Amino acid sequence: MPDLGERGNVMGPQPIGKIVEPPAAMLAAAGQLLAALLRGDFAFAEAMTTAQAREDIAQITKALRPSAYDKSELIARGRVAHHYFLKARLTGGNVAPFTIQFRLGEDNGKWTVREVLNLTGRRSAWTK
Amino acid sequence: MQRMIAVDRLARPEDHILLPAQRVRNARTEQGLAPSNAMPYEEDFLKSRMHGICAGEFQAMEAAGRTLYDFPDAPWEFQLDMARQVWDESRHAEIYLKLLEYVGSYYGEFPEGEVLWSCTQAEDPAARVAGINRGLEGLACDVFEQLIRLAQKMGDPIIERSVDYVLADEITHVRMGSKWMRQLTEGDPERFKKAQEFQNGIDELFNFGGGRTTVEQAGQIKQRVGDKEIEIDSGITIAREARLLAGFTEEEIDRLVKGFGKSSAY
Repeated sequence: MPDLGERGNVMGPQPIGKIVEPPAAMLAAAGQLLAALLRGDFAFAEAMTTAQAREDIAQITKALRPSAYDKSELIARGRVAHHYFLKARLTGGNVAPFTIQFRLGEDNGKWTVREVLNLTGRRSAWTK
Repeated sequence: MQRMIAVDRLARPEDHILLPAQRVRNARTEQGLAPSNAMPYEEDFLKSRMHGICAGEFQAMEAAGRTLYDFPDAPWEFQLDMARQVWDESRHAEIYLKLLEYVGSYYGEFPEGEVLWSCTQAEDPAARVAGINRGLEGLACDVFEQLIRLAQKMGDPIIERSVDYVLADEITHVRMGSKWMRQLTEGDPERFKKAQEFQNGIDELFNFGGGRTTVEQAGQIKQRVGDKEIEIDSGITIAREARLLAGFTEEEIDRLVKGFGKSSAY
C-alpha cells in the first residue's frame, strides 16, 4: 500500500513549484529586534532601523512600558519579493499584549527594519 | 451587526497580514521593482498573481455576503443572486487555495491587499453591484482569460481548466450585475448615473493610466516557468470575448481599451 500521507505518493497532479522558505538570517534579525525591545535596549533597535523608519521605531519604544514584557512571538509573516512583513506580539504578566508590525529588508547581508507600526488594538495596517 | 464595513474594519485572523496598497508599493520600489504588483518577468509572478486572485476571491465572497446583509429591502431575487454569488466565490477561493499549493505557495505567503474591498464602499445596491459585479468581476474576466492563455503556453491543463471553470462563474456574476443595475435604477436616471459613475471610478483605478491593451496588441516578454521559457503578455489585457459573453457591449470594451475607463450598462 502506498503511504498516502506523502504528497509524492498521492495520485494526481504534483506541485510545479517549491515553497520559498524564509531566510534564517531574516528570522534571526526579527528575533534580535524583539529581544532588544523586551530588554529595553532601544539603542540596539534603532541601530538596526533605517533612517526612514527611525521616527516610527521611536514611537514604538515610547509606547512600550519599560520592563513590562517578558515574552515575544512572531504571529504573522508575508513577503513582498525579498522583503518580509512580520507581525509580533510582546506579552507580560500585568500588561495588555503589545502588537507591532514591521518590515525587514536585506542590504549587503544585513537585515534592517524598513518600517514599523504599532498595531495594538488594530485589525490591519490600514492607516487612513 | 454593523452595516457597510469600511476597509479598516475588515476582520482578519491575527496571523494574517493585511496591507494598504501604498505599503506594498513602498516595499516594491525600495527593491527596485515596479510599484504595483509582481510583473511577468519576476520569479514570483505566478505565485503572486494566484495569491492576489485568491485574496480577491475571499473578498468577493465577503462582498457578496455584505451586499446581501446591507440591503435587506432589496428584491428577494436580488438577495438570492447575492447568496448564490457567495457560494460561487467560496468555491473559487477553495480552487485558488489548491492552485496556490500547486504552484508551490500557500495562502499568507504574501500580504493581502485592501484595494478590492475599497471598491465595495457604495451605499446604494445599484452602485454596489455596478462596482463589484461589473467593475471588479469584469476585471476578473480579463485576469482569468490571461491566466488561461498563460497556462496553455505552459502546457498546464490543471491551471487552464481550473481557471476556466472559475471564469464561467464570473461571466454570470457580471450579467447579474448588469441586470440588477438596470432593474434597481429603472425610472430613476439620476440613480443610474451615480451607479455608473461608481463603476467608472473602479474601471479607472484598474486601467493603470490607460496602460491596458487588447490581447492582440499586448507586448510579449519572456518568462521562465519551471524548465520552460515562454512568452507572456507584459501587462493585464482586456478579454474582449469573455467580456462580450458577460454582456459588456463592444462600445464599453472599446472605451476600456482606449483608456477612457467609462462604461455603461447595456
